[in-house]
Order: sequence, then C-alpha cells, then structure tokens
Amino acid sequence: MNIQKVEQNDVNYPEQLRLIKDSPRVLYYRGDIEVCRNRCLAIVGSRKATQYGRWAAYSIARKAAECGIVIVSGMASGVDTEAHKGAIDGGGNTIAVLGCGPDICYPSSNRQLMEKIINKGVIISEYPPGRKPIAGQFPVRNRIISGLSELVVVAEAGFKSGSLITVGWALEQNKDVYAVPGPINNVNSFGTNKLIQDGAMPIVGVDEILTIMGFSGKEIVKGRNRLMGGDEETLMGIIMENGEVTLDLLCYKTGKKAGEIAAILSLLEIKGEIITGGGRIMPSYTMK
Amino acid sequence: MYAQIYSATLQGIGAELVVVEADLARGLPSFSIVGLPDAAVKEARERIRAAITNSGFVFPAKRITVNLSPANTRKEGTHLDLPIAISLLVAGEEAKSYRSNDYAFLGELSLDGRIKPIKGALSLAVGLRDAGIKKLMVPMGNVKEIELLSDIKIYPAEKLKEIADHISGDNIITGRKGGMAESIKEAESITNLDDGDFHDVVGQEGAKRAFEISAAAGHSMLMIGPPGSGKTMMARRMPGILPEISNEDRLVITQIYGVAEKLPLDREIVGNRPFRAPHHTISAAAFAGGGRNPKPGEFTLAHKGVLFLDELPEFKRSSLEALRQPMEDKRITINRMSGNVTYPADFLLLAACNPCPCGFFGDPERICTCSQGQIRGYMSKISGPLMDRIDLHVEVKAARYEDLSIRIDNSSTYIRETTGSMRNRVKKARLVQKERYTGLGIELNSQMDQSHIKRYCIIDDEGEIFLMQAFHRLGLSARAYGKILTIARTIADLDGVDKIGIRQIAEAVHYRCLDRIPAT
Repeated sequence: MNIQKVEQNDVNYPEQLRLIKDSPRVLYYRGDIEVCRNRCLAIVGSRKATQYGRWAAYSIARKAAECGIVIVSGMASGVDTEAHKGAIDGGGNTIAVLGCGPDICYPSSNRQLMEKIINKGVIISEYPPGRKPIAGQFPVRNRIISGLSELVVVAEAGFKSGSLITVGWALEQNKDVYAVPGPINNVNSFGTNKLIQDGAMPIVGVDEILTIMGFSGKEIVKGRNRLMGGDEETLMGIIMENGEVTLDLLCYKTGKKAGEIAAILSLLEIKGEIITGGGRIMPSYTMK
Repeated sequence: MYAQIYSATLQGIGAELVVVEADLARGLPSFSIVGLPDAAVKEARERIRAAITNSGFVFPAKRITVNLSPANTRKEGTHLDLPIAISLLVAGEEAKSYRSNDYAFLGELSLDGRIKPIKGALSLAVGLRDAGIKKLMVPMGNVKEIELLSDIKIYPAEKLKEIADHISGDNIITGRKGGMAESIKEAESITNLDDGDFHDVVGQEGAKRAFEISAAAGHSMLMIGPPGSGKTMMARRMPGILPEISNEDRLVITQIYGVAEKLPLDREIVGNRPFRAPHHTISAAAFAGGGRNPKPGEFTLAHKGVLFLDELPEFKRSSLEALRQPMEDKRITINRMSGNVTYPADFLLLAACNPCPCGFFGDPERICTCSQGQIRGYMSKISGPLMDRIDLHVEVKAARYEDLSIRIDNSSTYIRETTGSMRNRVKKARLVQKERYTGLGIELNSQMDQSHIKRYCIIDDEGEIFLMQAFHRLGLSARAYGKILTIARTIADLDGVDKIGIRQIAEAVHYRCLDRIPAT
C-alpha cells in the first residue's frame, strides 16, 4: 500500500488548504495529490439518501466531471458514494477526504470504489495510517472537503444531516453553498430546502452548476442511447411527465398488464433511461 | 382365557398396527397394561372398568394382563380404550362367538359406555388399511374424515354395547363403504372464498403479477416494503390462485391436521390449501416440528399450501436455517430420543420484510430512525444459502392516496386483476409444465436443476445479449443467472409461448432486485 505524506510547507501541499482556519499540518494521501490543483467542486449529502438524492449527486458529479471539474466528497455511503461514482463514470478525477486513516476503508462496502478513486484521483486524510473511524473525526474532516472546493453542493439532507456541518465550514471559509431542492412533502429533503430558505442557492437543473462555474454547457457530449420501441417511448413520456412514478400508475395510464410494464422497465433500465428502487421509478436525466 | 384385537398407534403422520392381547388368569383381581403405554393409555383402566360395568356387562374379577404389541414402541392416545375394552369382553366371553379377526377398533370411552371421537383418526385408519385390515369400527364422530378413504368398510358406533352386540352377531351395524363421493364432494365444496379476492387489493399490480408467477411454478418469494403496504393482505389471497388440490393431497393434509390436533372444530376434513402464518417469536420445535413425542410443525402444517413468514429477518437464525432441508427435499426429518419421524413439508414459501428495522427507510413521509449499520445488518440476517432458495424478490411500496385514486379515472382501460383470472392462467401454466416434465420426476419450473435449465430454458441471441447487458449494467450476481432463466421459463408458460424471448427475460430481471449491487 503506497501511502504518502505531505506537510504544510511542501510544494505539492494543496494551495487552497493553506488559507483555511485550522489548516491541517500534515496530509496523508494515496493516489495523485496533483489533482487538487484543478478546479474542485464538493458534493455532499445524507448517507441514508433516497433514490432522488443519489440520482442528483451522481448526475451533477458526472456532468461536472465531463467538463474536467474535480469532485470532492467524503466517501461515505449514500450521496458521497454516488458523487464519486458519477465523477469516475464521467471520466473525471475525484478526491475523497476520509475521517479515518487513509489505509482504512470506511464503510467497508466501498472497497471497490476506494480502489477506483486511488486510480482516478486521490484519497486524502489528516489522520495517520491505522487511525480507526471515530465519530468525532468526521465533522472535522468536513473543513477539508469545503476547503478544497470552490463551492459546495448539498445533494440531499434530512433533519439532522452531517452535511449541514460542511455547510457551516463552507460559510466560515467564505465559499458559496448550493442546495438541490426537493419536494416539501418529503422529510429527506427538509435539510436542503431549509438551506435554500436560509439563503443557499437552489440548483434548478443538472447543468446549472456548469454555468455557475463558467462553462457554456456546449462542452457536454450527449451520447444517449435513443433507440427505443414505441412502447418504450410511451412509457418514457409518462415517466418524464410525472417525474417519479409507480408501476401501478404506468399500468393505469397505459392499460397494459403489470408483467408487460415490468419487462419494458427492465429494458429502459438497461438502456440507462430510468432508475428504479423501493418500488419507484424515475428518469435518469432531466428533460432538455 | 385369551383374546386378540387389532388397533393402531400413530407413527409420524401414518400409523402402525397394534395387536391388543388380553389374558385373564386366576389370582387376586388386578388390571395391568404393558407394552410401553403412556399416561393416557394407563388411565384407560379406570375408563374401561366403568364403561364395561355401565354398559351392562360384568367386569372380569380376574388377574388381567393387557399387552400392546409390538411391545417396544411407545403407544399414546386414548383411541386404545375401545380395543382394550373389547379384548376384555371377548376374553371374558361377554361378547360370545367373536372369532373373525378382520376388524380393527378405534375409540375413546367415557364412563357411561359411550364412544367419543378421537384425534388423528384418518391417519390411524390409513395405517390399518395399509396393514391389510378391511373392517373398521370407529366412533360416530370420526366417520366423515375416515370416509375419505377407499378400500375399507366402516362400522360407526356410539356406544360400547352396540359394538359388543355387533361382534356377537346379535344386532348388526350396517357398514359403510369408504371413498364415498359424498364426503369428497363436501370437501371440494370448501373453497377459499373467506380469504378474499385479489380484486380487493388496490394498486400493487406489479406485486400481483409476481404472485401469479410464484403460484404458476411454485417459486418462493420475498416481498420488501414498508408496513401497511399490503404484504400480508396479498399473501392471504395466495391460496386462492393456486390450483385445487387433488384428493390424495387432501387425504394427506387431513392426516397431518389430525395428528397435529389442529382440525377445525366445525369440520373433520381439510378441503383447501392450508395457509400458515407463524409469528416470528415461534420456537424452533413448533416451527420445524418436534417435541419429546414429535408433532408436526408449521412446515408440515403448510404442506401443499402456503407458508407465510412476515418480518423474515426477525425469525431466529436457527429457525430460518431449518427451512433449508424442507425447501430442498419437500419433507423434514426430526430426530428425537423416542425415534426418527419424517413428515411431508412441500410448501410454497412467501416471506415479507421491511426495508429496515423501523420500516421507513426510503419512505417519503416518515423518518427512518435506523442507523446505517442497522439497515445493512437487517437484511444480512437472512443467510446466503436461504436467499439462494428464494426465487422472486418484489419491492412493494406504501400505497399513497395519489396511487389509489387513479382507479376513479374512467379514461383508464386498465382492468384490475382478480383471483379468478389469475387462477385460470396459473392452471394453464401448470398443465403446460406437467406435460413438459412427464417422466422426469419433477412437475414445476421451480424444481428444475442445472441440466433441466440447460435443456428447457433456451434463449435466442437477442435475449442472450440483453441478459449480458443486464448483468453488467445492474451488477447482477452469479446466482441470479439460473434464477432469471427459470423465472423467464415460467413467464413464457404463463404467456402461452414456447420459446423464451427478450420480453420474458426482461420481466424476469425485474423480479431479482436484491441481486443488484446494494446501493447503500
């Protein structure tokens, strides 16, 4: 395992971090620390994220990565995981800031993802190798996540999400905070909606973050699989119109049997048009 | 003075022939029963003494020895009262001229000489018939149940005196032939109507389709969804879409319920497929069967019916592991000090669980109070080998008003599924399977092994490519492969097509949601 160490007065110590309060004196890292020199965007959010929150994190990260923006997050489950995945799938680089030693994979279910991050970016921690994941260390490492990034996007947050701590750090460091609005009847979006009420900027489209960061949007390569049969088109139409639907609704709207709908949904899912989970179905891209 | 009478004792869900020997010797009057009788049989002495006297006979003032042969197996139950009493009457020459030894006797006595119905009568009768007995004297209260059985003549009686008169040739009881159409017809008329219709379930059309697939080929199924999403409601309607049971199966089920002393009070015959829904606090012995003198457990009580396990991860690990043998072999063997018993246990497993311990993970309106670890730990309580034996996974969402109210929308051409239409398709699909598997020793798609899958689940190139894409895209695990093919086979049978196409495979993929690489 190749763990390296960089001190505050070394040349390749990330420039942004020198400026923040409580700047970490030493950083341990695995991967390529140079990626920190690029423009960085933090995407954070709830660990127990819904399909919607995960979709938002993934899509924003992917779009940004396609434009060469580096995605910073905390490699926790839920939103963090999706943000890293989106960045990797978008062919970009990503930085994971851990709350434990850089040799420890927490949560352990992210082992594969951790390997990918090391190849496609860097794992950073202010804690020495071998340090266990202790609860108190996680809020503190959030200052590095926001410190590395130009701005912070909260993809989804419930009542008491840890991502709100990152927001606190970001404000202290004078970084802009953006939040993905959610339905007001969903408790899992309460935190992000409250952030917007308190003055955070809402994100109204996946591409918006690019405009904010000064990209024209033309850089995005559209490579969608548009080969769909008539039934698939009809179903996609209904799904697009309603945002989040259930299989029942599709049955009632089309008059087709549940078995047929289930088959078409599988096809659409393989084509990457929709995502399903918890009995709910939603489009994987926003309408253009 | 010696007499010999036939009766039986329960062994598993069947029975073993017991020869009751009585010997009256000179000496101080005494009455002893040997041949491993249990407490209820020992107490028979008091009932027999009173019943004989109160029926107008003389109780022999001799040294009485009754032997229950074979003497090395334990005898239990009160049905030995009558044969022992008869053996005393014959040995004491109170019932004269009884010679014919082709009768067997079953019945419990009350002190005034009346004969009371017994438990497990059908099993005892089956055992006696198989031992070659042709004529059976039974309590009036057990007639209906025993009449299911053909090849045996039944002589029902209400009093000890009637039987004594009959065997002495004084007052003949008219025998009835078993296997009578009447009692079978009555059993058939007992339907599952009281369990409701699938039409009552609003929404959950996807889950209903999964039930249909499950019923069509006996695929076990796991439903995942928050509380109040209708999991139990749908499970209760499952027996309604299964095809009717055959008369042999009805016989076996009635035997099981008789032995387990679980026959409903108002009827002696189990006419429909059983539905068992044990609570998760159930003990391992009650679940799998057992006890000091083994009794059938829930696995056996669900034979040819549905075993519904709500809150699957809450069951004790040991109980869940016990599920593995019956799911493979369709029977369960219980080893106890008093011997080994094998019970049939061919059930359809339906299970349900919440997405997390509190039940609200992913729910838009309620807050989930579980920690990350709890959520992950919850599902992992179900072991891999057990998960391997579950074919269909269905995500059931909580019904919201918006979902329900669409039914008012008259413009929709969608027709809600009913139990009747679902059962018809299931029936047809089962016929197709029976035809295909004749001579192979299996009947349903869910019983296919690797070689069967290779032979009967051939897919075209288009399907193969789709399946490959599905594996890469959704990160399906290896165990999903064979399952998807078998489910696709069943869907093809339900659709009435011979070849498995992309449509069937695409639908089958939909029912394997737990095989996907977990999102959290």
